[in-house]
Amino acid sequence: MSSKQKKKTPEQQKYDILQKKHETKRPVLKNCLRAFLVGGIICTIGQAITYFYIYFFNFTEQTAGNPTVATMVFLAMLLTGFGVYDHIGQYGGAGSAVPVTGFSNAVVSAAIEHRTEGLVLGVGGNIFKLAGSVIVFGVFAAFVVALIKTILINWGVL
Amino acid sequence: MRFVRFSAILICTGLLFGCGTKGDDTKKSELALIKTTNPSPSVLDHRTEKNVDMAEGIKEEIQNYKEIYDAAIIKGDKDILVAYKVKHMYRFQMKKIEKDLKKKLEKKYPDEKFTISSDYKIFLEAVRLQEKMKNPDFSRKEANKKLQDIIKLQQEMT
Repeated sequence: MSSKQKKKTPEQQKYDILQKKHETKRPVLKNCLRAFLVGGIICTIGQAITYFYIYFFNFTEQTAGNPTVATMVFLAMLLTGFGVYDHIGQYGGAGSAVPVTGFSNAVVSAAIEHRTEGLVLGVGGNIFKLAGSVIVFGVFAAFVVALIKTILINWGVL
Repeated sequence: MRFVRFSAILICTGLLFGCGTKGDDTKKSELALIKTTNPSPSVLDHRTEKNVDMAEGIKEEIQNYKEIYDAAIIKGDKDILVAYKVKHMYRFQMKKIEKDLKKKLEKKYPDEKFTISSDYKIFLEAVRLQEKMKNPDFSRKEANKKLQDIIKLQQEMT
């Protein structure tokens, strides 16, 4: 950073100071609170759905996770289609992006956006434009964790 | 306007849920997921003094654990089902508690086959089975079959 600063001409440095003066500050604390609230609400809804599956269907705590995720993804898909999730995302920020509903939103919004370009090259080619990286790094991280676990089991640590 | 609509939906949901609960004859199992029910241990076959004492002994053993706050014990023909709830702050050590409890019980009663679970669903089903057993029309055979179903459910991983 300092080396970059040195390279700047005096005019540029002056401009930087001026820019900093007029820059609107990011409300980090407010954003964090909103993300906490929105994320918390989404997770509470997820927990309620888990309990619903445990109570009314033959799912245990361990197996109820699968239908819960499916339901949350489905609900987020509907909300994205109706344009409600955009507002939630704008208000909640990371709180709405980190849970699985955010992933669903990323997939569905990309599909909607590229629908006009056709089903194959439009929807098919772009549906994972945003969510693709999540899948790639998710699968890779799972592979690394599984590898470490296998090694530890072989060594007799676990 | 939006607020009015939102509160109307909330009130309607509340009323629907409120009307759903039965008056005085609310069963223990209906609230087993959210409330401490502490059901007394039950024996399906051969209600001999030895079997009853054993079930009571298991209950006492479990009550010694500060991490556990609610336990349902059902002694069947060959198996003994022990379902319990773990206090929230100790849920990180759930596997350790399960291992420890199983070891202790198997040491104390070496001839018995234990199925131990901290899953809410197993607990709920155990309480439901105990309630059904109060009905004189519910046969021992049916009860044993139900117990086997619960044990099978506990072993399900996905």
